Amino acid sequence: MGKAGILTVAIVTFIIGLFSGSFALAPLLSANRGSTYAYSEDSLWRTDSIRVVGSTTVLPIANACALRFTELYNTTNIIIEGGGSGRGYSELIGGLCDIADASREPKQSELENAKQNGVTLILHEIAIDGIAIIVHPSVTQNLNGPLNLTLEEIGKIFAGVYSKWSEVREGLPDKEIVVFVREHGSGTRATFEEFCMEPFGLKVKTGASEVPSNPAMRQSVEQTPYSIGYVGLGFLSGNVEAVHVAEQSSGPFYAPTYENVKDGVYPLSRYLYMVTDGIPESGSLTDRFIDFVKSPEGQRIVEQCGYIAIYPKE
Amino acid sequence: MRLKHPKFLCFKDKAGSFSFILASISIIILFLIIVFVLNEGIPAFIELGFSNFLFGHRWSPYYGDFGAFPLLYGSILIVLGSLAISVPLGVFTAIFLAEYSPRWLSNILKPVIELLAAIPSIIYGFFGFMFLAPKIMEFLDVSMGKVALTASIILSMMTVPTIVSISSEVIASVPKEYRKASLALGATKWQTIKSMVLPAAKPGVIASLLLAFGRAIGETVAVLMVCGCVPQIPSPPWNYLEPVHTLTAAIALDMGEVSWGSLHYHVLFGLGAILLVITFIVNMIADFFIKKAPRGVQI
Amino acid sequence: MKTVKEKTVLFLLAFSAAILLLAFVAITLFIGVRGLSAINFRMITTSIRKGGIFEPIIGTLYLLAGTIAIATPLGLATAIYLAEYAPKGKINRIIVQALNNLAGVPSIIFGLFGYAFFCRFLGLGISLLSGWLTLTCMTLPIIVRGSQEALKMVPKDFRIAAEALGTPKWKTIKDIVLPTATPGLATSIILGISRVAGETAAILFTCSVVLTKSLPTSPLHPVMVLTYHLYTLLVASPGTSMDRAFAIALILLGLVILLNLLAYLIRMRYRRRWKW
Repeated sequence: MGKAGILTVAIVTFIIGLFSGSFALAPLLSANRGSTYAYSEDSLWRTDSIRVVGSTTVLPIANACALRFTELYNTTNIIIEGGGSGRGYSELIGGLCDIADASREPKQSELENAKQNGVTLILHEIAIDGIAIIVHPSVTQNLNGPLNLTLEEIGKIFAGVYSKWSEVREGLPDKEIVVFVREHGSGTRATFEEFCMEPFGLKVKTGASEVPSNPAMRQSVEQTPYSIGYVGLGFLSGNVEAVHVAEQSSGPFYAPTYENVKDGVYPLSRYLYMVTDGIPESGSLTDRFIDFVKSPEGQRIVEQCGYIAIYPKE
Repeated sequence: MRLKHPKFLCFKDKAGSFSFILASISIIILFLIIVFVLNEGIPAFIELGFSNFLFGHRWSPYYGDFGAFPLLYGSILIVLGSLAISVPLGVFTAIFLAEYSPRWLSNILKPVIELLAAIPSIIYGFFGFMFLAPKIMEFLDVSMGKVALTASIILSMMTVPTIVSISSEVIASVPKEYRKASLALGATKWQTIKSMVLPAAKPGVIASLLLAFGRAIGETVAVLMVCGCVPQIPSPPWNYLEPVHTLTAAIALDMGEVSWGSLHYHVLFGLGAILLVITFIVNMIADFFIKKAPRGVQI
Repeated sequence: MKTVKEKTVLFLLAFSAAILLLAFVAITLFIGVRGLSAINFRMITTSIRKGGIFEPIIGTLYLLAGTIAIATPLGLATAIYLAEYAPKGKINRIIVQALNNLAGVPSIIFGLFGYAFFCRFLGLGISLLSGWLTLTCMTLPIIVRGSQEALKMVPKDFRIAAEALGTPKWKTIKDIVLPTATPGLATSIILGISRVAGETAAILFTCSVVLTKSLPTSPLHPVMVLTYHLYTLLVASPGTSMDRAFAIALILLGLVILLNLLAYLIRMRYRRRWKW
């Protein structure tokens, strides 16, 4: 069929071979060069694999704990994913994951869905978190101190009752407020709305831009002048200004700091959960991982991530 | 008396019937796609009411508002914007390639244009999100860089190759006699093109525009990263410097976290159904024009 | 007067072409400059848990390999059927029409369909297999179309001659038509791969996950893929690991450019030789 035809066939075969070759080579190159001794029957959990999906607020904790856990027991496999509390609940109810990370309690619709699918949602509290309201530095540049807002004022800003910063308070720039919110399944959003919107019968304005995670929210506020948003405590950065919050306009206004959340004075605080379908089977990988997160070592990791531990750290 | 079998079932060897079975899988796949998307999407239309869903003005899944109109509007807005850029650009380049470009230049341009079409959409999104959006925010003094204009520019980059490749082939296959006759009568090259070649090529060019439309309206990832994802009709409605949201971006963003079988889940499939209907109609119209195009055109 | 107009027109047209070239250069430079400085051998071979991108690369190869393995025989068989066994007639037109429509379906719809049908209805879950099947549906029209062209270009005389010598039809196809059409077939397969190599929307919720410790050991496991990983980096956690993002983008871009260039070269080379 001619040299050229042979050349073509060779190239195609090479490409296909390259792909198929990866099947053979990859296990050899893979990083999983673990132990080779056999386990007894009741250590099935050691070679098990679980999937942990959900809240992007809990994600750093889950990630760090999974890394540490698999260092200690390196034949276990823990798959971590974000996607928001909504995704976590959705996958748990759908049987697609073993643990759901959540920064809120389940919604009514999720409870119904769970009942329909025969799933019992058990919430394990693993940490306490605060929600910080953040603004771009351009908002506070003319103020002498921090921006003090009540829960209701914050709600009205997000609802679009105020369209410019100058309407909120004297001394703020005469610029349009750019509002960022989280996606609809977000636990952070749920807690935020529970404190700042629902009590006042407010809804977030349609012109608000939805971002899909805590880091995305932080970056959006960092990069957009005159913007406002909210993040979990562990995602504050030096490039955004945190709003000091009070329940009443008479104050006192509290900053979203570790101490204020721990002491219970900061108004926007909540629990972080890991959720399972029923009580995890004793000794299973799911059970052991959640126990690890609640253990002193796990709780130290919680604090390293910027959250507040619930259980003792020693 | 011979029994009459349908012609396509008479095979002389088994290989024929075997490949027939495999070939019909294509039809089955298409059929399944339509069935499944419609099946999962129709409950949304029923529960929300057809016009409430399609023409509802508030898209706010958090509060249970599922009005798809802002999404539909956003999709069409950015696609029309992209056509406004890619049509002149594409048609001119096609004319250039078919009529004026020297061989060596064509040999560079043609692969480059094919590559533009082949670049993955996430790379376009990356480019738009990291490079184009900040530049637009800077140069046009808007509060956010992720606006309808950005999405339109990125979409035009992605769909121009479709217009160029089809149009240039169509133009090139206009019979030489037309041109020779025109030149013989004393017309200049451009007059020939304008009055003789282009009108003859018109059906094919229109088809390429429609295909570009279809491609653009179905684009997901690139749009998701640059459109701003604000489900609101800009004010005024032709303001390209405001963020918008599209059908595709809404599906992609929300799909990960809907519970299977919930209303939100069905709503997303409903959006998919709307998208499917639009693309089918556009493709059908494009097909109609292709058939009228000069011979020898392959899409 | 006329020449001025002619020259203006020429300038306008050439300028349009130049803008396209500029666009291409802009994207390539944007990714290439930062990507090349970010990528190195260590990053490619280090596990993702330590900042590398090893697993997504292998995952992508697994995904593509499986897709080709399924789509190529399916696509070739369809193309052979269309070109050899029923080149005219109603069923041919229906299949071609179906394929044209399939080619126009947006990729997110394939994602929805893949999730609803392969992951849920057939119970395959979020797995490599679901990804293979979904991507096969996407790449089928491209492979069939290209292969059909390639087969059509084989001159009729070859087949007639073979028939005159008494060769059965399938043998003709196997020994004469296919080998001759090989460059075109290869091109269509390569283009099919290129289409799905950069695909994100379709695998978003059918096979890809953010993080898994080990590589998948069975087709029923989910897999990490370069495109989805880039998407996660950019959308869910922007600002961090930009180096990794550029490196991944560079690999994807390089892969796609390489594949397309290869297909283009094959086509150019054979267009000249086929002057029968």
